[in-house]
Amino acid sequence: MDVIEHPPIFRLPGIPDHVTYTWLVMIILAGLAFAASRNVALVPRGLQNFFEVVLEQFQQLIDDVIGPEGRRYLPLIATLGLFILTGNLLSLVPGMNGPTTNLNTTAACALVVFFSYHYIGVRTQGALTYLKHFTGPVPLALKPLMFVIEIISHLARPLSLTLRLFGNMVGGHILLAIIFFLMGLQGLIGWALSGSAIGAVVGGIGGLVMIVFTVGFLYPLKILVSFLQAFIFVMLTMLYIAGAIEEAEHHGGEHHPAPH
Amino acid sequence: MRRSLILAGLAVLAVPGLALAADAPAGGSLVGPYSVVVAGFAMAFAAGLCALGQGKAVASAVDAMARQPGAAARIQTAMIIGLALIESLAIYVLVVAMILLFVQPIK
Repeated sequence: MDVIEHPPIFRLPGIPDHVTYTWLVMIILAGLAFAASRNVALVPRGLQNFFEVVLEQFQQLIDDVIGPEGRRYLPLIATLGLFILTGNLLSLVPGMNGPTTNLNTTAACALVVFFSYHYIGVRTQGALTYLKHFTGPVPLALKPLMFVIEIISHLARPLSLTLRLFGNMVGGHILLAIIFFLMGLQGLIGWALSGSAIGAVVGGIGGLVMIVFTVGFLYPLKILVSFLQAFIFVMLTMLYIAGAIEEAEHHGGEHHPAPH
Repeated sequence: MRRSLILAGLAVLAVPGLALAADAPAGGSLVGPYSVVVAGFAMAFAAGLCALGQGKAVASAVDAMARQPGAAARIQTAMIIGLALIESLAIYVLVVAMILLFVQPIK
């Protein structure tokens, strides 16, 4: 990986890069939140208005997916979403290492989601009821098998969340790094500047094509992927929470006898 | 489609691997060089099959949107989620290919 790695602009001694840049994301988000919430006005203007729109979008998503009783989980979901979005976008800034390009950060977010939705399910329904609903509507003989299958599928969820976010971010970076390597001073542009006539023509045209391709297509694609992956992470979190608490209504529905 | 094109483009990395695998390595086994070839082929398969799956998903979504234009926003949301989930399977293969190429657990 050394040929395509480059050190970021600043590094704290003794602290890994992803921790340093996680702190940077935290400082950015906390600073914006602090700036938006001073002089809170009834009619919002400026930064407060912007963040109200953002949080309202999160709340609409929660209403669509979990229902109105999911609004109490807005802090968890919005924090995860904004942290992952800012982390993804930070990795696009030249000179910075984004925190989400490291497996540790994405695994941390996925584990937070995993423990949260189980805790929410247990707290909403009680431990025994929640576990009973793992198996679903199958006959009693098949319940142990379904339980094992459900446990495996639940364990696959944080793994898939981690790898999806990590893979999307790092895949784009590796592609960009390889293109820079092909196009930089050791590649096409170096050939163009090396003085030979063929080098100037081929290297110049190739370098120009690659620059246009990178700036015009790859960077917008990476921005799109950053937003999309944050959205997908948040959406899956909401679906898991909805799956953990929905059994309450299902169970409650069975207990009310239908009026004749 | 663009995403699968990029993933298939990464699979072109297999070509130098084939050149490497042609010489007998000075070390021990052939596992190392051939793992590079395998990484390239695995990525190509994953990109192609992911493209097929995503094409089917988008085709059904667009059909449904044409049938019921009022529900277009909800169908689009479901389509985006479905596309990201299908793509994540190709991303898992990308992670395995990166492990084979860069971490090189077996030389």
